[in-house]
Amino acid sequence: MRTGRNSGMPWLVQAISGLALVALLGLHMIANHFVVEGGLRTYEDVLDYLSTPAIFVLEVVFLLVVVPHAFLGLRAMLLDLGLKPRIQRILDIILGALGISASLYGIALFVTLQGRI
Amino acid sequence: MQDDQRGISRALAWFNVSGRKMGSWAFALNRLTGIGLTLYLLLHLGVLTLLVLGEAQWDAFIALARSPLILALDVVLIFGILYHGLNGIRVALVGMGIAVRWQKALFWGLMALGALLLAVSGWLIFTI
Amino acid sequence: MTQGRSGKWQVTFRVFRYKRDAGLARYDTFPLEIGPDETVLDGLEKIWAFQDRSLAFRHACHHASCGTCGMRINGVEKLACIVPVHEVARDGGTVLCEPLRSFPLVSDLVVDVGQFFRRLEEANFEIIRIAEPLPQAQEEALTRFENCIECGLCVSACPVAASDELYLGPATLAASWRMKEEPRSANVPRVLANADQEHGCWRCHAAFECSEVCPSNVDPAAAIMALRRELLKRKLFRRSDNAG
Ligand code: HEM
Ligand code: SF4
Ligand code: SF4
Ligand code: FES
Repeated sequence: MRTGRNSGMPWLVQAISGLALVALLGLHMIANHFVVEGGLRTYEDVLDYLSTPAIFVLEVVFLLVVVPHAFLGLRAMLLDLGLKPRIQRILDIILGALGISASLYGIALFVTLQGRI
Repeated sequence: MQDDQRGISRALAWFNVSGRKMGSWAFALNRLTGIGLTLYLLLHLGVLTLLVLGEAQWDAFIALARSPLILALDVVLIFGILYHGLNGIRVALVGMGIAVRWQKALFWGLMALGALLLAVSGWLIFTI
Repeated sequence: MTQGRSGKWQVTFRVFRYKRDAGLARYDTFPLEIGPDETVLDGLEKIWAFQDRSLAFRHACHHASCGTCGMRINGVEKLACIVPVHEVARDGGTVLCEPLRSFPLVSDLVVDVGQFFRRLEEANFEIIRIAEPLPQAQEEALTRFENCIECGLCVSACPVAASDELYLGPATLAASWRMKEEPRSANVPRVLANADQEHGCWRCHAAFECSEVCPSNVDPAAAIMALRRELLKRKLFRRSDNAG
């Protein structure tokens, strides 16, 4: 059975990351907005929030699940263009690079803020 | 629309839901919300840069984000999350061969839950 | 709008027309008098007989078994031979007839089903020999796949097939599952490997439109999901006993 890029694996990763997102995104929304007075945190509050290790881990995990899910989703839609395999490969690389950049950017952001606590 | 189409117009054919049943609508809306959420995610990451710029910038943004217009847009966002996430549960399960027979009931059950959660969130957004 | 003698209705057929040489496609309208038992196919035959000899459409059996008369009637895939006009129009109303989607157009309501049949062949799909007894318990499940009349309605209804030309499509995937369940002479590892590709069963977005329109209760969407479950099991648990 195939397990590579051309198999069902991208779909499976997307489905499982999607299911994980139900919990992660749910927690993210509740913790960031629905339990907060006024629904949005001020600068002070954000730093305070991120100083809890469990929260920090939650946010990083959320980022690292949502970004692959979103970029695999974009890829799934681009597949419908019926591109030539070579162009598809190039697109895969571009999307992969963008996904990795977005994740690194997010982590850099967290670490910077953590440093200010 | 006829069928010798290629490229872009063909790639957009999934969005032609006329005459179709629940499944195509569910799929098209799942895609639309998926695209919307992805754009939002990128925007969201971009906006968080304001935190790095400092307290004044961020707090000015928060003041703006509390305006009724933005709050209304937040309700749209919540709709997108709820629809995409709850329908996604069905697609993920059914796509793995689980609960295939009950997929329609599952869809409507999840949508009912979504409507409830949307109402609660909408209320919270404007009152919290 | 008058209810004519003997319950005859006045119905306008609006028919998609396309001839390769003439270039652009258009719609032609044909007024018809339709009796209570007449089907859309009967209507098209009357048009051909009395109004326009150049109208092209396929049919053979007239009773939902050859699978050649599939088309979109008022936008929904149906077998023209079993749809009474009275079910899809009112007296004085219109019936819209268009060719199946996602197939190359040949002429008017006729599409090229060559690729569709080649894909079914790749799935080793074959017509069952009646003389061979089936295991009792499996009979119900198997006859479902046996029922496929290769009409292509499912492919036309599928939003993924509409977008992705390379998509194997619901009929082929249902046939693949059928051959896995009861292989006969099929090469199961090859059939599964054929389905296990990005433009195979993983492309399906579970819209279930195929099962909605299938005139033969094949339920291709359920077959696709069963196929995916089987492939997942084999991938994740390395249960590759008879797989390639
Ligand atoms: C909240 C929980 C979520 C769940 C359960 C979920 C589930 C899914 C599933 C199962 C698919 C595959 C659909 C298919 O094969 O037809 C999918 C597609 C997609 N998701 Fe999500 N998702 C969630 C959140 C998100 C978020 C937060 C984003 C964006 C940031 C996102 C973006 C996308 C995109 C772009 C697609 C591709 C749409 C398509 O192929 O039609 N999802 N999602
Ligand atoms: S269930 Fe899959 S094959 Fe059937 S119509 Fe939907 S996307 Fe197409
Ligand atoms: S699965 Fe149903 S709709 Fe598809 S070709 Fe076979 S009989 Fe026709
Ligand atoms: S004419 Fe044979 S199925 Fe309709």
